[in-house]
Formats: sequence, structure tokens, C-alpha cells
Amino acid sequence: MPSSLKYFLTRLSGSLVTMLVGTIVVFLVMKAAPGDPALIVLGDYATDETVAAFNRKHGLDAPLMAQYLDWLGGLVRFDFGQSLSVSAGENIGDLLLYRLPNTIFVGVYAILIAVTLSLVLGTLAALNRGTTVDTSATSLAVLGVSMPDFWFGYMLILGLSIGLGWFPSYGFTPPSDSLAGAFYSGFLPALAIAAPMAAVFTRTLRTALIENLDREHVMVAKAMGHSGRFRFLHHVFRNSLIPYITVVGLQIRYLLGGVVIIERIFGINGVGSLMVEAAFARDFFVVQACAVVFLGIVLAVNYVVDLICAMLDPRRVR
Amino acid sequence: MTRSTTISRRSLLKSGAAATTVAMVPFWAGAAQASCSTLRAGITGYNVINTLDPGQMTLIPEAYMVWGIFNCLLKFDEEMNIVPDLAESYESVSPTVLRFKLREGVKFHDGEEMTSEDVKFTFDRLRDEAFGSPHRSKFSAITEIRTPDDYTVEIETEEPFAPMLSYLTNTRTGSQIVPKHILENGSNEEFASNPVGTGPFKLVSHEPGASLELAAHGDYFEEGLPKVQTVEVPLIAEESAGVTALLGGSIDVTSTAPFADVPELEEDDRVQVLKQAGTSSRFVSLNNSVAPFDDVHFRRALSYAFDRQAMVNVVLFGEGRAANGIIPSSISWAATQETPELVTLNQEKALAELEKSKYGAGTEATVLTWGSSWWKRFAEVFVLQVNQVLGVNFTVEVSDSGTVYQRMQTGDVQASIWGWLGLVDPDEYAYEIYHTDGARNFEHYSNPEVDKLLEAARRETDLEARGALYREAEALAIEDCPVLPCFESNVHNLLAPDVDGFVQLPYSAFGAQLAAVGNC
Amino acid sequence: MKLKHFLHNRTALAGLTITTLFLLAVFFGPMLSKWSSNQHDFMNALQPPSWAHPFGTDSLGRDVITRVLEGARISLLISVSGVFAAMVFGITAGLYSGFHGGWMDVIVMRVVDLLFAFPAFVLALFLMVALGYGVTNVALAIMLVYLPIFARITRNMTETVRNDAYVQAAQVMGQGTPRILFREILPNISAPILVQATIAVAFGIVIESGLSFIGLGVQPPTPSLGVIMADGQEYFRRSPWVLTLSGLSVTVALLGLNLLGDGIRDLSDPRLKVRE
Repeated sequence: MPSSLKYFLTRLSGSLVTMLVGTIVVFLVMKAAPGDPALIVLGDYATDETVAAFNRKHGLDAPLMAQYLDWLGGLVRFDFGQSLSVSAGENIGDLLLYRLPNTIFVGVYAILIAVTLSLVLGTLAALNRGTTVDTSATSLAVLGVSMPDFWFGYMLILGLSIGLGWFPSYGFTPPSDSLAGAFYSGFLPALAIAAPMAAVFTRTLRTALIENLDREHVMVAKAMGHSGRFRFLHHVFRNSLIPYITVVGLQIRYLLGGVVIIERIFGINGVGSLMVEAAFARDFFVVQACAVVFLGIVLAVNYVVDLICAMLDPRRVR
Repeated sequence: MTRSTTISRRSLLKSGAAATTVAMVPFWAGAAQASCSTLRAGITGYNVINTLDPGQMTLIPEAYMVWGIFNCLLKFDEEMNIVPDLAESYESVSPTVLRFKLREGVKFHDGEEMTSEDVKFTFDRLRDEAFGSPHRSKFSAITEIRTPDDYTVEIETEEPFAPMLSYLTNTRTGSQIVPKHILENGSNEEFASNPVGTGPFKLVSHEPGASLELAAHGDYFEEGLPKVQTVEVPLIAEESAGVTALLGGSIDVTSTAPFADVPELEEDDRVQVLKQAGTSSRFVSLNNSVAPFDDVHFRRALSYAFDRQAMVNVVLFGEGRAANGIIPSSISWAATQETPELVTLNQEKALAELEKSKYGAGTEATVLTWGSSWWKRFAEVFVLQVNQVLGVNFTVEVSDSGTVYQRMQTGDVQASIWGWLGLVDPDEYAYEIYHTDGARNFEHYSNPEVDKLLEAARRETDLEARGALYREAEALAIEDCPVLPCFESNVHNLLAPDVDGFVQLPYSAFGAQLAAVGNC
Repeated sequence: MKLKHFLHNRTALAGLTITTLFLLAVFFGPMLSKWSSNQHDFMNALQPPSWAHPFGTDSLGRDVITRVLEGARISLLISVSGVFAAMVFGITAGLYSGFHGGWMDVIVMRVVDLLFAFPAFVLALFLMVALGYGVTNVALAIMLVYLPIFARITRNMTETVRNDAYVQAAQVMGQGTPRILFREILPNISAPILVQATIAVAFGIVIESGLSFIGLGVQPPTPSLGVIMADGQEYFRRSPWVLTLSGLSVTVALLGLNLLGDGIRDLSDPRLKVRE
């Protein structure tokens, strides 16, 4: 088997194992959580009989192992069971299916903004090392990571929405309705999520570029007479891309965290806002479904990032 | 106040099919249009709709939608008089029998005709213990329902039952007429998410926690209604977000307004503000069956320990008035007229009652509240004041409205911030909250004398005498402080400048009024 | 790392200055204020910033700056205790697994991978549902978010130094494993851990404010930065200063911590790059 294929498969199986262990942990933690789903839902009408009937209906009377396997079997088919309280009786899979595209759209949008900002600022800073440009860019970056994203979101509302009236402060047009509308109504939330990420990306890119600019093979390329522009693009940028992309992948973990509050503030019907509502309503089934979905997204993105890095730098594979 | 962006916003929506939430206006949009086919009526401050079955509804956003999808035998007109709705006329045959003549040719959304059988079925279903309706106790006085022909219904009660007419109106009483032919063999669960009524609007889609879409009922019995073809109802949990959505042109009507913003909005020509004193009651519900609220002296101490007018100022930013009891002052014939001493701040008496109580300073308790708007501040203002005056150590726990209501029902709560809006009969406040068997007596309060007076009030058909009985009952109940009445809040609707035809009633008639909205 | 170098590094100096001022304000500021954090004055609600109330008053007429300082102390204590617990467990696990390798390393790293695969805030939110709201559980959530970071850094650093001469010398001299790990290895790899700790305390504050902001963390009337911001958010249109100024204070405090972390990193090892 070629070593690259083997690498991909090993990484894939690693991710799958993590996913599997993750579902077990999520399941067990939710089982241990205080509060009986039957009592939460039935309330006043909870008698021994109705509780038993409820548990039978939701398969909660089976042994723990059987319950888990049943749940896991459902997950594979994107069947998460039924919501308890946040929208009682609704199929959780349907709830997620409606919301997932919104979350993904806003997440990708935020990454695009962060990447664009950081490519500009990071490159400018590295090429003008030690100058005012560099200091400004790095200062901006430190400021970016220091602002709580939800507070920054409100500052954007204050300035660009209430103040200047350029953007809506609330509500989101799903991309399936209107792509232009989604880009427009999603701009402020995406920018709020992007700010701290852009800061981290900028710092990473700046450091990597500076390091690679000093590298020997750049010197060699110079000696061989390539034009300066080509040298910069081809060697430096390519070599700086790996740490940069790795960091982009790592940031997914923070990005998706930011999505949770930002979705709520801007009224985006996404998986994050669903999870918060389910948390309030103590809807255990929806909370655990959301947790698993986020877990899946992070693992998938990390896997893709690994693949990209491996393609950029085949030495990694071995 | 310009509305230059209408067309492109509409076309934007059109491409959006059913799942649209709050649609946004791109800043590059142009052109103008006068009337509209799609009304965007945001439910603000709430985003939980668990059921659209009138027999099961409890939360106000559920009622908002039920009012537009169903009709009752009777309704309130713009002057708050009870007038016929599905009934053409009604008469009192004897003190215990009401006879209704139904309109002919009224169609359910599926095209079937509504007849007296459906009316009988509706009330039998509400009274059926197995159905478990939260409104059951309102109709348990009914002994028999007769249907001499397809268009005549007679409702008989064992004794004269004074609140009956209010309970048959299209309000939060659950008496909306449901189709027998669907529910006879169909499942209640299915109906809760796919309701079929006679109302001006039928449900097209419901995205839980996000939005609903309604469409005009073509066969609606009232000529010329509804005026709009489609109603989109985004559920906007944050009231302040509703304001920005309205100002930004993404919605045309809101169901509430944030109290803090009302003065500023009244000055703003981009919005019409409708407001009036609401038929509402906001209180602190104490679980009388658990410590420390099982001690009447402790409850009295609490009642003396906070300033209700300060609450109105701080929580409502002045948009309301301090309460005298739990029967709203707008039901003037039954409400307590003079503020009882126990419903005013009196630090000395508070401490004296605390002295007599088996609980002292330092007592701990959790006050449950919900949401993120003024409900949370309500709890905080209460807790801060009683902590300061009595030296107790209360804390606040924030949850969502559905959970708080569930926990109140199960008794899994010490104290909670709660309130009712849009209940129209004093019986719905006094009997259902103070009576031992009251449907919403989550306080587990029981006082035989109060019970007796409330039962007598139900039998009394003379309005003035009936009102006196409620006052007497409430005076006794207030001595026991099962709940701590705090204030009544104004009801508000925000409308875009061009919207007309929306009539606000003190019970916050949101969904019921959408049919008459012409321009938007 | 000498003090002189430290003071000559602009980043480190700025970070240290801001952080020190922040700590002084948080621990001594409330004493100087003539108000207390829960002292309400309904007649003076929502007053804009003035000399008497530099950050204005909130909806209950409480002095916002006093509440911010008091709240910052609570948020800081929650974050520090969460991060401290994460360090204790994470470093121990990292040292042992990096030093010994083998099956223990595999298990520790699997757990770390798993915790890493959850978005930080989602993990915190999930734990709040499972454990219930409140101060202790917020700290616990912060611990679980940072545990994998400390474990991974410590393990990787330990692996790189475990064959160094001083470690082998200690082994030859017959020192016990705990002594080697904590007395020989740990001091030599402490700089990157310290950098992480500084940054973690900053982000711990963000997690606390986030949870409390949506109402799932610290419960009112206890002030924490998140609780104060949540309150300010409710009447943001009418009185934007409560949310704006309390959030600005958080930003300045985090700026101090982040600069301090950067400064330590620059000084301890110029080769260490920004990774997180």
C-alpha cells in the first residue's frame, strides 16, 4: 500500500475511534446528569404508569448498553430520536437538518473573513518587520484576541447597525432562501466570530513568513536569480502555509464555540442557538445530539486540514 | 419613515419558500409598493410554541397563533363586549342553560362544515380527564351538552355558572372549536402540530423555535377577511431584537415592545406604538408546601419587604402600575380597589412578621425566573429588596419559560416569578390560583373560606354581587400571602408606519387581529 | 530570564503594567468606592457616566464600576481556580506520559484528543447542563477545557528533554521518577507552560463571561463580568454604557494578560512560535 494512502487511512481510523469514544462519553455524562427526562416532560401527569410508558416509548427502560447501541445505531442514520422539551416530539434530525446549513454558512463565512484579513495583515507585517506597519498589525492582533466575541458583536451592532444603519442587528436569511441575503445578514455575526481568529492567524502567518524569509533556500533562490516576487510567493509562502493551515484547523475548536453565543445574539437559527435553548429547557436528547454534531464537525475539519498539510508537504506522511 | 425597499424584500421572500425566518433588506434595494400580500408579524419576547391544540395551550405565544387558526362561539369586540362569533346568536333559556344558534356554512380548513357536533365534541374533549387539558376545570361545571339540530347547541350546567360566557370567547380559555371528524379517530399529538380550525388562517409550516407560516383560509366565513394572503411569524426571543427588526423593515408587527425602549419609540416616526393598560397580573409565586414558604408569617414578612412602585419604575421603566391583588384592575368590577396594607412596603411590619416566623434572617431560597428580558430583572429587584430588608439570603435562578412552568406544575420549585396576561375573567385569576382545586394553584394554597367564596362567585349571575364576592375572597387570600402580587404591565404592539387595521385589546389580542390588517 | 531583560521588553512591560493595575483595581478598588456592588438606588437607575459614577449606573441604580471590579474579582477567581486545577492534572499527566511513553501515553493522548475535539465553549455548555449551573461548575468546565492543552504541551516538552544529559544524570544517581519529573524536568520546561497559563486565565474569563452572559453560569445577584454584561445587554439601546464599558474593562484586562504571555514567550525562547 502506498504510504500516503496508509497515512490517510490511519488518520481516518484515528478520527473514527475518537468519534466513537466521544459518543460513549457524551452518552454516559448525559445519563449521569441530574433530572429524569420522564419527569421533565410529564410534569404534573407523572404517575408510575405514565413514566413507565414514557420510558418504554423512548427506549429508556432497556439496559444501558442496549440504549447506547440503539442511540449509536440511530446516529449513523442521522436519527437522533425525539426532542423532549425544546420542541417536544419533534424529530431531532429534522431540527438539525434545518439548522446545520446556517451554522456551517456562518462558520465558513467567518473563516473566509479571518483568512482574508490575516493574509493581508500578516504579509504586510512580515514584509515590513519592525516598522510602524508591523507594530500596528501586531497590536491589532493582540487586541483582537482580547475582546470577548459576543461583546464585540454588540459593539458592531452599536456602530454599524444602530449607529449607521448599514446592517441588520438581528435575524438571518438562510442561504437556501437567498445567498445574497445570507451574506448580507450574516456579515456582522461572521465578523464578530472572525475577529479573534483573524488575530491569531495574523500572528501565525507573520511568524512563519519571517522565519521562512530567513531560510537558506531562499538565499539559494536569490543566488539563482529568480525574481524577488516569484521567490517570495513560491518558497516562502508555500512553506509558511503549513503552520498557517494547521492553526486554522486548530482554531475550529474556538470558532465553533464562538458560534454558540453569536448565533443567539444575532438570532441565527443554528445548531449553537439550538443547543443553548435545549440547555435552558433541559432537553437532554437535543443537547447530546448537538454535542455529537459539533464533535463530528471538528474531527472532520481536522482530518481535512491534515490531508491538505500532507499534500503540501509529503514528508509528513512518512 | 420611508419604505422604499418593499419590492425587493418581497421578492427576496418569495424565493424563500416556507423556511424563511426574519428576512433582511439588502441596502442596495430600491422601488416601492403600497399594499401587501405577506404580513410579517413577529412574536417577540418568546420563542417556545409547544402545541397549537387549543385544548392543550398554556403559553401566550401558543394562544397568539391559536386565536388566528380557530374560532370560538363568542369573542370580544373592540370595546371589550362579548359578541357572537361562530354562534350567530345566543340566549339564556334558564339560569343553568345557554342556547346557541350557530352560523351556517362555516368551513374548517379542510373544507368540512362545522356543526353542533363539533361544538359538543370540543367540550366533551376538554372535560375528558384522559385528555388532561389545563382548561378542564373551567368546563367541569357543564353537566350536559345537547345538539337538537346541526346548528343549535345547548350547554347546561348543574348550577348557574357566571364565568361561562367569558370562557366561550376566543381568548386563552381553550374553548376554540376543533373538528370532530379529524380528532375522533386521529391522534391528539398529530393535531397539536397540524391544527385544523375554522379561523381566518391555516397553518402552513412551523419551524420549532424559529418561525411559523400561515396562509389565508379561502372559505373563511367573515366576508372580506383575511385581507392578507400569507402571514410569516418569526419567533424572536429577544424583545429588543424585535425592535431592530421592525425598524430595519424586516417585520411589520411585533407582539410586545421592550419597556425600556417605549418612550424613545413613541418619538420615532418610523414606528407606530400602540399601548394600553393590559389585563395582566405579575406576581411572585411561592410554593406554600415547602420551606421556607410553608410559614404564613414568613410569607407576610416578604410581602411587606418590597416596594412595588419601585418595581414598576425599575422593571417596567414605568410601563405599568403596582398591583392591589392578582385580579387585574382593568376588570374593575371585581378587582380590589384600595391597596391592602399587606401589599405595601412596611419595613417595621416586615421585621415583626419575620420575628414571629420560624425562619429568620439568613434563610436561603432560590427564586426561579426565565428569559433574558425584564423577567430576570423582576426577580433580581425582588431578591435584592427582601435580602436587604429581611437579611435573608435569596438567590435567582434563570431558566426558560417552558421549564419554569413545568417546574411549577411539578412543584419542583421554591419560589418563581410568574404572571398571566390575557385572561379575561376574574375567575381565571382568583378561582384558578386561590382555590384549593384551582387549575393553576401551583402554590398549593388551601383556605376553605376562600374556596367557599370563590364557589359562590361562580354561581352568582349578578355582576356587582359577583364582584363583591371576588373582593371578599381576595381580601382573605391576601392575608395568607400564597402569592405576592407585584404589578400589572401595559401591553404594547409596534407597527410599521403603513400598517393599518390592527386593533389592540387589553388582553393583547395578537393573533386574533391579524386577519383585519390590510396594509403593511 | 532576568528581570532586567524583562523590563526592557516592551510587550512584557506593558502586559505586566496593565495586569498589575488590573489586579490592584480589582482587589483594592472596591474598598475605595463609596458604593457596594449590590447597593441599589431605584431613584438613580440608568444614570449615564459621571464623576460620581464613572461607568454610570445600571437598571437598579447600582454603581457599574464597583460592580465591574467586584465582578472581575469573581470572574478572575473562577478562571484562576479552573486553570490551576487544569495545570495540576494536565501537567502531571503530561509529565508521566511524556517520560514513560507506552500504553499510558497512548491513553492520555487519546483522552486529550477527545477533549480537544470538542469546541471549547460547547464543552463548557455541555458540562453546565450535565453538572448544573453555578460558580464551582463554571470553574470545573474551565478546567476541562484547559486540561488537554496543558497535558499536550507538557508531554511534548517532556519527550524532547527526557534524553537530555541532566535527566540521564539524575537517573544514574538513582533519583525516583517523581523527583526527576517535578524537580528536574518541570523547571526546565516551565516557560511555555507559564505562557499558556497566562493566556488560559484570559480565555477562562471569556468562558465564564460567555456562560454567565447567556444565563447558564454565575447567577444574579452575584456579580460576575458575564452577569453584568448580560444585564447591560437588556437595555443596550437605551443605556449602551453598561455593556460597552463593562466589556471594555474585560478587554483591557485580557489585553494585559495576553501581552504578558507574549512577553514571557519572547523572552524565554525566541524560537517558540504562536500556535494557539
